This record gives sequence, C-alpha cells and structure tokens, in this order.
Amino acid sequence: MELDKSEPNNPAMTFDEVSMERSKNFVKALQELKNLRPQLYSAADYCEKSYLHSEQKQMVLDNLKDYAVKALVNAVDHLGTVASKLTDLFEQQNSDISTMELRVSCVNQQLLTCRVYNDKEGLRQQQLLALIPRHHKHYILPNSVNKRVHFSPLRRSDTIQNHYQAISRLQPSDAPASKSLSWHLGSDTKSTLKGTAATAPSPKDPKAFAKTSGVFHLLDDEESINKKPSAGSQLSGGPAPTSMMQTYGVAPKDMEVAKPLTAHKSFDNPRQETIHAPVRSKSVLSAFFVKQKTPKLKAAYVS
Amino acid sequence: MAKAGGITNAVNVGIAVQADWENREFISHISLNVRRLFEFLVQFEATTRSKLGTLNEKLDLLERRLEMLEVQVGTATANPSLFST
Repeated sequence: MELDKSEPNNPAMTFDEVSMERSKNFVKALQELKNLRPQLYSAADYCEKSYLHSEQKQMVLDNLKDYAVKALVNAVDHLGTVASKLTDLFEQQNSDISTMELRVSCVNQQLLTCRVYNDKEGLRQQQLLALIPRHHKHYILPNSVNKRVHFSPLRRSDTIQNHYQAISRLQPSDAPASKSLSWHLGSDTKSTLKGTAATAPSPKDPKAFAKTSGVFHLLDDEESINKKPSAGSQLSGGPAPTSMMQTYGVAPKDMEVAKPLTAHKSFDNPRQETIHAPVRSKSVLSAFFVKQKTPKLKAAYVS
Repeated sequence: MAKAGGITNAVNVGIAVQADWENREFISHISLNVRRLFEFLVQFEATTRSKLGTLNEKLDLLERRLEMLEVQVGTATANPSLFST
C-alpha cells in the first residue's frame, strides 16, 4: 500500500528503485511485527496490576477482553502484511532469475553457433586440402615389387589412359616406395605413346610368356588377334581367337569389343597401314623373369 | 428474610457461574484463534523455506552456467586466430 502511494508520486522510478522500495517496505513491516511483542507484554502487565489494585474489577475485565481481541486482530494484520511483502519479494527475485537464465541461454546459444561455424569452416578447409586416395588396397603393389607393367594401348583405353594420367598427376611426385598400379600404368602409357618404333613382340621367349600371369598373356593374345583381322579378314572373327580365349580363360566380351574396334580401325585407315603393337621394354621382361617365383602377381590381375 | 437472602445468594452464584462460563468461552475463542495463527505461521515458514531452497538452487545453476560461459569466452578471446578466416 505504501508502494502504491509512492508510485503515482514518482512515476519515473526505475526497476532497481522499485525493488529497493519493496525490500524497504518488507523490512518495515517485519520491524513493526517485532515491535508488537513488547507492546503486548506491557499491556498484559498493566491489565494485571489494574485488576489487582482497582475496585471495579468487572470494568477492567471487559476492557481487557476488548484489548485482547484488538491485539489479536492487529497481530494477524501485521503477519498478513509481512507475508504478502515477502511473497512479492520472492516473485520479483524469481522473475529476475528467469530473465538472467534467458540471457545466459542466449549467450550460450551464441557461443554454440560460433563453435559450430568454426567447426564447419575447419571441415571445409580440410576437405579442400585433403588428398583422399582413390585406389583400393587390392591394386596397390607391395614395396618389394617395383616393376613396370605394360598395357596394350587399345582404342577404348584412351579414356582409361587419360584417367590413369590424371591419377598419376594427383599423386605426389615424391611417391612412396610402394607405388600403385595406376601410377605404373600411367607412366608406362606415356612412355609407350612417346615411343617411335612399334615393333612386334619378340617370340624368343615363349616359355617366359607362358609362365607369366594370365593378364600379360591376354595382352599378347589380344595383339596377335588384333593383328590377324587387320591383315586378313576384317569382319569375321573366326573360331581361332575363341579357342585362344578359352585356353587362357579370357572373357569373350572383351574380345568381342576388341574385334569390331580393330575392324573399324582397318576400315577407317584409308592407307591400310598396319598397326603394330608397341614394344615391350626390357625392364618388363626382366620383371617377368623375377616375378615367376612370386604368386602375388595373380592378385594384381586386372579383371 | 433468610429465605430471601438465600435466594439472592443462589441468584448471585448463578450469575457468577454464567459469567464464568462466558469468560471461559471467550478465552477458548481467543486461544483457538491464537492456535490458528500459530499454524499459519508454521505453514508459512515451511513454504518460505521451500521457496528459498528453489531460489538457491536456481542461483547455483546460474552461477555455474555463468562460470562456464566465462571460461569459454576467455578461451575464445585467448585464441583469436581461430576466428580469423
């Protein structure tokens, strides 16, 4: 009530001033309640002395009853005032704490967004810089085997060559000791493309060829098979290549794909120049001699 | 005369007894209200204690959250290079 009277007198009070006023009113009410105790004690002593020393005892008794009722009502009123002011203070403190919690949660959310943004930026930068290996472990040669692998340059392998070349560029120049199959393929295709004379494969060491893996036999047979249609009949494949395929376990699809390509080659070539297979380097032959012992080459078979 | 005196004495005693009963009733009313006031005070003390306890818990939580925020902001200000793009 005192606060309500003060508010119209000072309408421009701030929040802190209002809270101070409320706390002051509570303290005043509590002080008044505490002051009731000595007043009641003094009133009780006066009534006792007057009842004992006075002659009109009935009148003293009636006055005492009235005073007791009024004192009780006054005490209840004071207690109610103190309780209401204390409840107001509690509500104010609760509202202050809730606003503080909201502000803290806002700051926390801001920090969280900064952290999330930081993480995303870091991930983005790492993704740009990270070099992810694109080769399966199956195709990575071991460290001891550091040999070249020859690959016959068919027409359909142009895209594959470009792919290998691109992959070789991606790989660092300081390649580790265990170089991948693709690197070898890319390096060798470059060397074969740069090569001048395309000589036929030497049939001097058929045993060596026989002992090597099915991949290299496949290439050799592909070249021989490719030469046959270019020299003689172009369209008809003939049963010979199929028998050769069966002996070496080659998938017929590859050969069928190879045959029309070679046929088209011969048709497209107006000068009817014979296309010879590229020369195999000596290092490859030496690799074959060494690789005879190791069964690991079978794992490097390209399907 | 004696009978009249006896009657008056009886009447006085009756009046006194009635007055006594009235006083007792008044006293019982007063004591009952005082006990009700005491019960209200006990209940008010219990609720006030619980409210203060919840308020204390909220303040503790708030203090901890503020401390954590303070530490986080301190680490962020200590490493400004993290936020440089």
